[in-house]
Parts: sequence; C-alpha cells; structure tokens
Amino acid sequence: MAAGRGWGLLALCGALSACCWLLCAGAAEQEAAAGASRRRRLSQEDGISFEYHRYPELREALVAVWLQCPSISRIYTVGRSFEGRELLVIEISDNPGRHEPGEPEFKYIGNMHGNEAVGRELLIFLAQYLCNEYQKGNETIINLIHSTRIHIMPSFNPDGFEKAASQPGEFKDWFVGRSNAQGIDLNRNFPDLDRIVYINEREGGPNNHLLKNMRKAVDQNPKLAPETKSIIHWIMDIPFVLSANLHGGDLVANYPYDETRSGSTHEYSSCPDDAIFQSLARGYSSFNPAMSDQNRPPCRKNDDDSSFVDGTTNGGAWYSVPGGMQDFNYLSSNCFEITVELSCEKFPSEETLKTYWEDNKNSLVNYIEQIHRGVKGFVRDLQGNAIANATISVEGINHDITSANDGDYWRLLTPGNYKLTASAPGYLAITKKVAVPFSPAIGVDFELESLSERKEEEKEELMEWWKMMSETLNF
Amino acid sequence: MVFNWATLVQVLALIVSQVHGFPKPEGSRDKGIYNRELSEERPLEEQIAEAGAGKIRKTVPTENKPEFRNYSFTDDLNLLKSVTGKERNEKERESIRSSLYDHQQPAPDDADSTKNRRLVDDYDSTKSGLDYKFQDDPDGLHQLDGTPLTAEDIVQKIATRIYEENDRGVFDKIVSKLLNLGLITESQAYTLEDEVAEVLQQLIANEAKDREKESEDLDYPPSRTDSDTEEKQEEKMSVETPNVADQVGVMNGEIDDTLVNTWPSSSVLERRNELPSEDNFEDLQYFPNFYGLLKSLNSEEAKEKETLITIMKTLIDFVKMMVKYGTITPEEGVSYLENLDAMIALQTKSKLESPLTSTKNKLLAGKAEAYLEAIRKNIEWLKKHNKQGNKEDYDLSKLRDFIDQQADAYVDKGILDKEEADVIKRIYGSL
Repeated sequence: MAAGRGWGLLALCGALSACCWLLCAGAAEQEAAAGASRRRRLSQEDGISFEYHRYPELREALVAVWLQCPSISRIYTVGRSFEGRELLVIEISDNPGRHEPGEPEFKYIGNMHGNEAVGRELLIFLAQYLCNEYQKGNETIINLIHSTRIHIMPSFNPDGFEKAASQPGEFKDWFVGRSNAQGIDLNRNFPDLDRIVYINEREGGPNNHLLKNMRKAVDQNPKLAPETKSIIHWIMDIPFVLSANLHGGDLVANYPYDETRSGSTHEYSSCPDDAIFQSLARGYSSFNPAMSDQNRPPCRKNDDDSSFVDGTTNGGAWYSVPGGMQDFNYLSSNCFEITVELSCEKFPSEETLKTYWEDNKNSLVNYIEQIHRGVKGFVRDLQGNAIANATISVEGINHDITSANDGDYWRLLTPGNYKLTASAPGYLAITKKVAVPFSPAIGVDFELESLSERKEEEKEELMEWWKMMSETLNF
Repeated sequence: MVFNWATLVQVLALIVSQVHGFPKPEGSRDKGIYNRELSEERPLEEQIAEAGAGKIRKTVPTENKPEFRNYSFTDDLNLLKSVTGKERNEKERESIRSSLYDHQQPAPDDADSTKNRRLVDDYDSTKSGLDYKFQDDPDGLHQLDGTPLTAEDIVQKIATRIYEENDRGVFDKIVSKLLNLGLITESQAYTLEDEVAEVLQQLIANEAKDREKESEDLDYPPSRTDSDTEEKQEEKMSVETPNVADQVGVMNGEIDDTLVNTWPSSSVLERRNELPSEDNFEDLQYFPNFYGLLKSLNSEEAKEKETLITIMKTLIDFVKMMVKYGTITPEEGVSYLENLDAMIALQTKSKLESPLTSTKNKLLAGKAEAYLEAIRKNIEWLKKHNKQGNKEDYDLSKLRDFIDQQADAYVDKGILDKEEADVIKRIYGSL
C-alpha cells in the first residue's frame, strides 16, 4: 500500500471505531486486560510465563494446567478470602480428588503475606512444570505424582497480594499488602499451641493434636480471619504429612519451633522432631545454590543470620514467632511443616522471576520427595479393618502421630533404629522394631487385637484350661 | 489476505470508488468537485477517484437513476483520451477500466432520465448493424431464431454472459469491436457499460438475496470460535455471506475463491447513505461481519446498535472522502474497509454471550487462546501416550463429557466463569 497521507486520519478513525464498538469497560477489567496483554510479552518457556499473576491470571494459569493435564490434576477451593477471592488449590496426583490409602498427602502454601510474592509465582510455575514434565515422560516426576498427592496453593492471601501488586512502579513497601484485607497478619493468627505444648512438656499432657474440639474452637473463634479458618479446616480434612509455607524477605529454610520456650526474642527452640526437621529443611535448601551458600552475605547489612546453618535455621533461634501456621500444623495435626524464605526482596521485579524459578525448582521437587522417608503402613484390627485415629509413637521422640481414615500412617524419621508402637482405645498396643534408611520409607503394618477380643480369647483359654483340668481331675 | 486484495485492487477501484464516491443524492455539494477538469497532469489515481465519484451516481438502482444521470460527455471524452493514451499493461487496463466506469461526471442540475431511453433507441437503430457485425462472433449476440435482439436483450445477454463466465473480457471484446468499427461512439460505449453493469448488479443482488435466504444466519455457530483455523473461519464466511465479491471478481476477470470479505456495491452504499434510518440493515449485509455483529445485539442494546451504525457510516464516508480528495488511493480505502470488517470478524469471533465490552472480549480471547493451547497439549499427549502403551485410542467423547462436567462443577464453585466454561466446552465440542 502507498503513502500515509490520509492514512493517519483513517487510522485514527479506525481506532475510534474500534474503541466505540467494543465499548470500554470498567477499571478493574482494564487492569486485568492490561495484564492479559502483557502476558505474552515476557519470557515464556514451555507454557510457563515468568511474570506476576494477579488473581484472574492466577486462576487462568491453574485452569490451563488442568486443561493440559486433566487426568492428573484438579482445582478446588478451600474457602474465600475476606474480599471474596477463592483460596485456590491445584492438586496433582494420579487420582485427583481421591485419597488413595497409603498415599501420603503433601502441600505447598504460598503468599501468606500478600507482599511476599515470589512463592506465589513459583507455585504457579511448579504446577505447570509438573504437568509438562509428566507429559514429557520425566520418570522422577511421574513416580512422584503416582506415589504422592500434591496440593499446591499459590496464594493464601490473595487480597493482600492485590494490594501489594497495585502499588505503582517497581518499589514495593515492606509492609503494604502483608496482612489480609482486615489488617490481620495471617502468620500470627493461628491458635498458639506452642504455649500449650511447653506447659505439657513441663507438667505432662498430650504431645500432639493439642487443639481440642478443633472444629468448634475454630468456627467460634472471632479472632480468626476467614483465610485462617479455611486453612484450619483444610488441615483437619486432609491427612497431610509434609508441607512448606513459602515466604519472602530472607533466604533460609526455617523449622519448628518458631516460638521460644522462655519468651525471649532469640532462642533455639527445638521440637521433639528436631533431627528430621533439620534434614527436611536441608532437603530444600541444599538444592538452592543461593540459599545454601554459607558465604552468602546477609540480605541486609545488619541482619543477624548467626542461626543460619547450611541454609536452614530453627525458628526460635532466628526470632520468636507466636501464632504461626508452621507450628500450628505440627501441634494440631500430623503434618510437618517448614517455612521457606525465598528472596531477600519481598516483591522483586518481574524480570527476576525466571531466575528464582531456576534457583528453586529442584528444591521444590526434592522437598516433595522427602515425604517418602521414615516408616509408613496401616493399622488394622484382626479382621483387617482399618483402625482410624490409632496412635503411633516412637520411642525417644515425644511426639506421636495418628492413623488416617483408612488406617494409614506415615512417620517421617531420619535414618536409624526405632521402636514403633501402635495403639488405639480398646485395643492392645503392639510394638515393633524398625531399621530406617534415608529413603524410601519402610513399610510396617500393625494388626491390633481389640481388648474385647482379647478378653474373649482369655475366656476361651480359661475354659479350655478348666476343661482340661476337669477332665484330668475328673471334676 | 492483503495479498489477495492487492491482486484485485485495481478492480476494486471500481467498487471502492463507488464506495467512496460522494454520498449525497442531491449531489449539489459535490458539484464543484465533479466538475473538476480532468487533465493529464493529475495523477491517474486521483482521476480514478473522481471518476469513482461519478460512478456512484451512475450505478444506483433504476428507481434512483433520474437523480444521478448527470454526466457531461465532454468530461467523459477528456478522461477517456487522457486515459487511453497510457500504455495498456494489465494494471493500467484495470485502472482504465475503472476509470471508464467512473467517468461519469454528473452535472448537478441535469437530471435527465431520458438519456437512458435515447440510448436504447440508439441501440435499436443500430440493431441490425450489430446483428450483422456479430454474426460470426462466437459470443452470438442474437437470438436463436435469428430475430434481432432489442437493446435490452443485448444488455441483458451481455450481463448474463459476464456473470456466468465471471469474465468481463466478454464485454471488453464487444465494446472494443463496436468502437473500432465506429458503430458506437465512445460515450455510447460508456453508457453501454453502465447498462451492463446495472444488470449485472441486479443479477448478483438477486443471487445474494437467494443465498442469504438459504443460509441460517450470518453469526457463526458458537462452537466455531477459537478452535477453527483462520481459513476454516473464512471458508465459512464466504459460504454464508452474500457474494457481492463475485461482482468484483467479475469485473476483474478473475475470481478469488478464498475471498473472505465482500464489498458493498455502489448501489448498496448509495442506498445506505440515502436512508439514514438506523433500522435498515439491509445494506449492511455487505459488511457481513459488521452485519452479524449488529444482528447479535438484542433489542435492549438499541443504543449500541445506533452507535455502531453511525460509526460505520461515518467511517465509510470518511474513507470515501479521503479517496475523493486523493488523500488515499481507492485501493487503500478498500483495504482499509476490508481490514475493518476483518477486525469485526475477529472481535465477533471472540465475543460470546457477554455484552460488548472491549476488555472483557480481549480477556476472553486471550484466555481462549491459552485454554486452547492447553487442550491441544493434552490431546497430543493422549495420542502419543496411547500409541506407546498400545492402548485403544483415547475416548474423546468420554473425555469431553468429563471436562464438561468438571467445567460445570468449577463454575458452581467459583473456579471458572460461566463464559470461560463455555469457551472450554466449545473448544472440546469442536474437536
């Protein structure tokens, strides 16, 4: 076509008409549209677009993963944020939607502090990555997906994220968007079970499942944010075994306990499973070159990272955190959770996301694999029926776990020799000796005899003896 | 698409100049422009553009003829001379052809409908001559029983011939023969061309009306959204829409089967300009996508409809104006309007049940692409996976049912919007 003499005018005219008959919509949609149009500008790799996803894009990204891998994925929602956004989860497993007896459940939760954005994005990338790799025939991933039920919640605080992301320009305030829409810091909002366990340690009392009447306590507690309530229900409904909670603002893998025993600001506060937690935390950090670099300078000049070892730290040793989600998991359920700080900057520029993914993808996968460690099995009665809620205790570790609805249990342990005892009300406990390697998990099943059965048995035995005696003695 | 148009562009100059010719029936506004003397110094395009102005007037339907039959023969001849002086390569021939069509420069206050009749008489008077001359002509411009044809017959016959053969070379041959033999004057040749063109248009319009009655609607079936390739979409469109494009092809002696968008005939556009009523969509059928868009608006969106039509009209007028003033070439104008209609197609394609909102449409289009991509990957993997495992072919209908079910469940749970679910279902439905 020739010169643009009148072309400019025509172009204007066309642009006007285009605008007009597409009838501009509201600001929110425009914002989303801007995001949508940005989408293809930035780096893309294998369907993973390395850019920040706002709520609509987050949803779309998860839906796209589901559409690509519908046989191994399922999207569900755990509840709604204060402003009504769905707390979306994508589960990846060979039988999405179902708990397979014996198959351990894993979860990743990101973006609990809305302005700590890297975790959110990494989890979206991870979901896409797992789907891609599965279809490419990556055996590690295939085996992982076939043997684990992986739940990924990219954002626990979508409202906070929107607030943080809405800040103009690159500079993001250290606090804006951290809390939920009510101004609640979700990682201080969980019932403080640390205090209770410390009391129990001193004075005797349960060492697990410390929130009595959990559902009632949660539903009636006015101090809990809707997000917190949703998560607690989630934890109660699914027998999670291993979890990680992704944050930003530093670079370390943090493990329980977060709250110091004495109440001081810094104090190593080990939990009964300190050994396995250290190992689990290293299971993340060792695959992240930046995190595990002992010579790495601290994120900020005056930061005290003296507690950091091999890219890991005990929570209390770093700084005391009461009411956090990590410890709540450990003390109210069977789930072992660590807190991973992914980035010195809480909301770094978009261009860095690809690098964060490269640095973390191996860690993210390897950490899931840690779930296949220790001892696992079933607790059943003599007829082969599952005994749910049986207690499995380990000699020398003052923390018991319980069996799930199908009688299945998973006890994470570092390598060594252990004595495991399974018990349940009305049943006779059984103890077994187990030699645990680094991995995979060793299978140990328990067949428990109920007390009434035992009584019957004893009665029978007695009858037999009496019969024998009477015959012999001619009663 | 642009390339296709490029090849037809010369011919389109005809139509386009019709399109961009100046609208007002009264014509008095354009008087000054139309009476501009043609001179060889002025660029050909400009002359054509001007000529286009005249052509519009020329080719209005019969009932409107009286108002437009204003032409000055002097101008005609001047144009012809200036134009025929140029070398007759393909391109120029077409320019000339269009300029021939466009030559009519109506004198504004000379609405003389009798000229037409006189021409018919002319034909009548030379009838025998024509018969004689064309006895050996393979085109056979006489009736089978040898009786001489009336002028109307001849015109009708020529037009039909051109229509059937999609080749206006027929006409060219005849006219040039007549001219060479001195049987008709140049102006009579022009007039003859006009007559033929009119009949031809009528033929095409009738055919278009028939086809339109046949096809259900201009809206594409909803399943044919993003899963179709562009070509598929275009094929559909070319089948379902009135094929005014054929007229263009005819004039050019070519016909492009993959023509997607159709061009309004001058008569149609004239009508549109004359009838400012926004409810008259008849004419707009020649912008098939635009028409489809309008039809899809419901009665509550009358205001939007109005706005759209006004905008479209304004745009077309604008383009015409540009061409008229020589700011752009007719080809450029054509291309522009065609692109416009194509853009409408694109927007309409991505528009689902939701009302017309720009961002929403863009969003949905973006999502639809992403979802389509994801679904493709799944299907590819399923095919590969089953092949490797020597399993039976994956059951597509079962998968589709599963997805549909899940999509609905997701809508209930607030994970998917209704529109998104529909997009997904449609994509699967079209596989």
